[in-house]
Amino acid sequence: MPSLPPSRPPGFSRRTLLAASAVGLALLSTGCTSSPDDEAAEVTSEQADELAVQVAVQEGLIKAFADAGAADPALAAAVAELAAQAATQLERLRDAAPGGAASAAPSAGPPGGPEAKAWLRGQVAAAASSHAAACLEQSGARAALLGSIAAGLRGQDGRLA
Amino acid sequence: MADDTAGPDLASENTALDEALAASHAAVWGYGVVGAALGPGANATAATAETAHRDLRDRLTALLVDREVDPVGARGAYALPFPVLSATDAAALAVVLEDGVAATWVRVLHQAAERSTRELAVGALGDAEVRAVGWRTAAGKPTVTTALPGLSG
Repeated sequence: MPSLPPSRPPGFSRRTLLAASAVGLALLSTGCTSSPDDEAAEVTSEQADELAVQVAVQEGLIKAFADAGAADPALAAAVAELAAQAATQLERLRDAAPGGAASAAPSAGPPGGPEAKAWLRGQVAAAASSHAAACLEQSGARAALLGSIAAGLRGQDGRLA
Repeated sequence: MADDTAGPDLASENTALDEALAASHAAVWGYGVVGAALGPGANATAATAETAHRDLRDRLTALLVDREVDPVGARGAYALPFPVLSATDAAALAVVLEDGVAATWVRVLHQAAERSTRELAVGALGDAEVRAVGWRTAAGKPTVTTALPGLSG
């Protein structure tokens, strides 16, 4: 009898997907079909630019967590875990982006007090949508990473509701 | 039309979609267990989730048939990872189901050759994580959100 959940596809793991390097997402797992050279060759300049934009988006989100926490100290403690997860996501994105971050557009800060939470939720949702849209223009490990980050932020959005 | 850049081919994409279909079959079956354990007064969320997985199952089956790929069928039963004897157990099983589904959708994203497939996958992955957050909360998990759904482990 098959077990729940279905077994993970062979050779597919966090390590597989996150073995992204500055020279082009070399997949370290032997279970993947693409060779490191194949993956490096797949990164177009447009894709690299788009990844840099997503790094900037995530950096903006990290700043949003800090700004919201400053506006509402009680919120800072409540969302510390979410902020740490966003930082983990940023780290993975930076590893995957061959060109670093693009310039982030400055955004208005949060309102003070309890409204800071709603503002932060809006920032999380916007970042999730941005990563999801960018995922569609990527391929391979980059698409998987952006899709996973977008999903993680959608979960955070629900948590902040 | 497949993307112009070199990357995964349609056969790899179809294999990943078939794996996602297998996970959808398992989720539909598993939510039957979840709903039964929750009881008639509390299983609306499980019913909604089961419907979502049925819809994805049907969509994946149609997609694969259109591509002349023989879609994987449902098994008669699946082995539970632990006894489901309470509402908390049921929520924990739902977490297992959604996390299992999420892993297959990340695999689809990794293997997708078609933009439309990535669109399907990123939506399904996000929906799975949103449901999982609710179930982790119901199961009393200390951490209910995840940084990288589908990539854990």
